[in-house]
Amino acid sequence: MPMNFVTFLTQLNDALAAENGHNLAFLLRPTSPHAKDLLKEYKLNPTREKLSYYKGSVQEPWDDIAIQYVLTCSHVARRRSIEAFKEHGQLVSHFYTFFGQNSGWSLPALFSVLRDLRDLAFDADFHAKCNGLKSDSMEESARIITKAFTLCLQDRMSPPDQSRKWGVYYVVGLVLKCYFRVRRISLSKNILRALDANRDIPDLSLYPKSHQVTFRYYLGMLRFLNEEYESAENELTRAFYQCHIQAEANQERILTYLLPLRILKGHLPSEDLLQRFSHVRGLFSPFVNAMRAGDIGAYDRALENAEKKLLELNLWMILEKGREMCLRGLFRRVWITSEKSSRIPIPMFHAALRISGIDVEVEEAECLLANQIYRGFIRGYISHEKQMVVLANTNAFPKPAERASPFNFL
Amino acid sequence: MSSAASTSKSKPEDKSNSKTEEKQEARPHLGVLEEDDEFEEFAAADWDDSQTDMGALVAGGQAPGAAKSGGDKLWEDNWDDDDIEDDFSVQLRNELAKTGKGDAMEH
Repeated sequence: MPMNFVTFLTQLNDALAAENGHNLAFLLRPTSPHAKDLLKEYKLNPTREKLSYYKGSVQEPWDDIAIQYVLTCSHVARRRSIEAFKEHGQLVSHFYTFFGQNSGWSLPALFSVLRDLRDLAFDADFHAKCNGLKSDSMEESARIITKAFTLCLQDRMSPPDQSRKWGVYYVVGLVLKCYFRVRRISLSKNILRALDANRDIPDLSLYPKSHQVTFRYYLGMLRFLNEEYESAENELTRAFYQCHIQAEANQERILTYLLPLRILKGHLPSEDLLQRFSHVRGLFSPFVNAMRAGDIGAYDRALENAEKKLLELNLWMILEKGREMCLRGLFRRVWITSEKSSRIPIPMFHAALRISGIDVEVEEAECLLANQIYRGFIRGYISHEKQMVVLANTNAFPKPAERASPFNFL
Repeated sequence: MSSAASTSKSKPEDKSNSKTEEKQEARPHLGVLEEDDEFEEFAAADWDDSQTDMGALVAGGQAPGAAKSGGDKLWEDNWDDDDIEDDFSVQLRNELAKTGKGDAMEH
């Protein structure tokens, strides 16, 4: 039987009485099947005037929430994205007055209305862009969602297991997602600072994995873009290993930034790993293969071929830094070919560069070697006078992964 | 052009503001995501370790992201190959023979 507005109000009431957050979420979702029924009841043209008849028929603010819901659905049905976003934004505001006085059972409904808000903001901005209009719905949605962050943090009444604080990381993840979408990631700092200042919340590891992984992904990305590589690697590693293995697209997103960081650390992806993620394999295997072979020419060609894509993904710089690792492989091959001699003339290394298609003066070859020694890739010293590299008798080319704090030498 | 100049004169503060903002945005400029490609909502809220790559760590107990030598088969920290035979090896050996003659004098 199609649902009418009165039944809708009754069902909202039932969900509230039962403290059923998932049902509440379902009832407030514009994509739920009853949305169409409600629109039909108003001949597809519900207005605030017609609906205001029901004001006061249920506990506040649920009369307003129900009215906003129908108005939102009507705009969604007519593809009026900007209006839909605005009406839903009001729904969220009304919802906040309820949420701020209730405990964690209502979190599923909060998450759902915020997710819809962000989706509607996405549509609104897209619609505006297509029609040459200005729209900052996504930033507006970030501002609205940030209010939920405060409401979650401020729960001092609910018992610990029923606290609104269990919503904190999901909400932060959603705010970060908004800022990333509109390329205003510098704005993320505010909410992260607020999060740092409020340590009176459960440890992140106690939150549902989906919250942890999303939060760590965005935090890791921020660190990556800020060139704080050690911290980035830490967050992205944890995000990757806690991600559901069937969420392949997300795992691949994480790996796109984790993999080059691991490479710089001296850990190459195994064949097992590359087999599983074809996009990652396509992008990185030319670099990985060049590193394994110490083929600096191939590495440079890979950089050149993928330049556009790498710049788009903010990966060019980090892979350019990875060139040092490949150079190490080349110099190591000189050492192998010299039967691991502890004294190798610089012109040998110079020749190896030339054969690889790197046309530089012998002085530059010497400089590259000095750099490799400084970075801990080679153990030894250079006798400039004799134009000779004198290598340590043992472990002249340590495993790159064994270097202490590898990210400090980029 | 003249109008642009006059605007910048009349609102010097605005201009400097937008400039610092540009600068802030310039460095981490986020071309990360392609239009339809962003971190997705998970189908479930929570799951067990066995449904993650933690489950893939051999025998458990290792720190994730170690390497094969640490029981994590997704990464290799020991990938130096002493036996690569390709054109490059041949060229390198020939070069060694040439340069090596000079080297022998030193010993």
